[in-house]
Amino acid sequence: MPLVLFWIFAILMLAFGLGVVFLRNPVSSALSLVMSFVALAALFITLDAFFIGVIQILVYAGAVMVLFLFIIMLLDLRGEETRRLNLAAWTGGGLVVAGFVGLLFKVVSTQPGFDFPKPPISRPEISDVALVGWTLFYKFNLPFQIIGVLLLVATIGVVLLSKKELK
Amino acid sequence: MTAFLLSPEFRVVFLGIFLLMLDSFTKTDKRYIAWAGIVGLVILFGFSFFPGLPEGVFPPGFYLSDPTALFFKRFMLLSTILTLALALDYSKVYQEYIPAGRPGAGLGEFYILPIFACAGFMWLVSAADFIMIFVSLELVTMCFYVLVASMRKNLLSLEAGVKYLILGALSTGFLVYGITWVIGLTGHTSLDGIREVLPIVPQGYQVALMFGLGLILVAVGFKVAAVPFQFWVPDVYQGAPTPVTAYLSVASKAAGFVVLMRVIEPFLTVPGLEQKIVTVLTVLAALTLLYGNLAALPQTNFKRLLAYSSIAHAGYLLVGVASVGAEASGPAVGFYLGGYLLMTFLAFLVLVHVGRVTGGDDISDFNGLGRRSPVLALGLLIAMLSLAGLPFTIGFLGKFLIFEAAMQSHQYLLVVLGAVTVACGFYYYLKVVRAMYWQPVVAEAPAIPVPVFTRFLIALLSAAIIIFGIYPQPLLAMLR
Repeated sequence: MPLVLFWIFAILMLAFGLGVVFLRNPVSSALSLVMSFVALAALFITLDAFFIGVIQILVYAGAVMVLFLFIIMLLDLRGEETRRLNLAAWTGGGLVVAGFVGLLFKVVSTQPGFDFPKPPISRPEISDVALVGWTLFYKFNLPFQIIGVLLLVATIGVVLLSKKELK
Repeated sequence: MTAFLLSPEFRVVFLGIFLLMLDSFTKTDKRYIAWAGIVGLVILFGFSFFPGLPEGVFPPGFYLSDPTALFFKRFMLLSTILTLALALDYSKVYQEYIPAGRPGAGLGEFYILPIFACAGFMWLVSAADFIMIFVSLELVTMCFYVLVASMRKNLLSLEAGVKYLILGALSTGFLVYGITWVIGLTGHTSLDGIREVLPIVPQGYQVALMFGLGLILVAVGFKVAAVPFQFWVPDVYQGAPTPVTAYLSVASKAAGFVVLMRVIEPFLTVPGLEQKIVTVLTVLAALTLLYGNLAALPQTNFKRLLAYSSIAHAGYLLVGVASVGAEASGPAVGFYLGGYLLMTFLAFLVLVHVGRVTGGDDISDFNGLGRRSPVLALGLLIAMLSLAGLPFTIGFLGKFLIFEAAMQSHQYLLVVLGAVTVACGFYYYLKVVRAMYWQPVVAEAPAIPVPVFTRFLIALLSAAIIIFGIYPQPLLAMLR
């Protein structure tokens, strides 16, 4: 993978990720998240994981985030823009984040090195889609079924929590 | 196909789906859905004593059916049955707080969601793979997000729901990130695979392994309410519907401890890591013991008191987990959780009835309960004495086994700390007993009618607390 492309997309992804947190307007935050997802998809594609890259754009950047945007626009959230900064919360949160990032840097710097040659992620003789399908429906079949139950519960929950008057 | 019919979890899921359909065709009294659920779960509980799934139906490395898993499957079934029994008694209060178009709306889901959570719990205690652990944990948490917030006209319940959702999502984030590090370093998702690879992971990568494991510990710490990850506990316990609080404090905690012990087990085989893990667990246990017991002292609300007591009990359980060197540590934790189930559900059962009549859950609402309803008062007395750890109750024996394991693995500091905090426990648990027997009855306080089934449950749980407190061998045999 060309290293230049990695840096470009990684920096883009992180920059838009920061945008999600720091922008005051919820719509801008959501759009930043879309862009962050697109950059992440580009990273997947530079790793030869074409299928996952495409799915990332179709499902997350496309379907999920558009739904998010609809909801944000419908709710018309204004409170966030006028909210004043809470200094105590900011320092507390900042300390936790700083500690975590510091720890992460320490861990990464003590690694004996990530630059040893690794086998390619995808094998050209098997297509991406087949590999994902095999993993999902054969190797991880049981967890996949549990996800089915989870979605059922989520559906029930949405009805129970959001219907104006239960029948 | 046979795998689905024979696996206890899928049977529970089928029961849930069947009840959902029954619910949509029921227009009159919804309470018999809860009865059907209880009967179905009791039958499945009975099935668990017969040989079930043959080996190798599910791909190897995903699904364990060892004695621990079997014990905790029964544990989960039992706590779901008790939750449904509590929910039955709580129906009237619950209905006041949901926006119902007609009587009985929303009750069906309130009875059925715990059943799906039960399936998730049973998968969780059998999980031997990080993907399985993650997926079944999410199934359980999803059920709880909905259940905690479901009393929508009650602001406390909504607040609890939002807090639980946000902190739950945060802990899920920690869990996934930690799992990613471990999988990335070992190349395996299954705990078996990780155990095989760990000895050949070079020394230099141990810092990163510990980092990943630490993140997983943070996430599990949220689930079992260990200090310093306990912020959500009092508010969520107070705001959630009482049966959900009981379910959350028993089943969710037990599942968290099973996952904790399963996940750290492969890492303990690595010489360099073992000491570090034990140190981290010891610190967590000490903090949790101190905070839970000290913060419980000034409480005046019974539900919040039980929340802090739940943190305190997590501390005793962590002492057991931190004594991993001892042979008896696993069975001790299992036994303690078994006792915790009995006494916590007994306490909540009484709380539901007192709360239903007095409309509040402060300790002052229990004033003079000894005269208003001797049955409830006696039940709560036994629960409180056992939670405090009086001899001849299961609570005492649980603590005894935990401290014994701690002595065997030379955790003397934790034993001393535990003994001191037990004394604290006596103070705040007996505060409730004092209110029941020594405080005057409020003049207009009505007598509390107790249904026959509840009387039966109170008798059963009280008897179990005392019998297993004197003769624990049957329970211990299941765990060894």
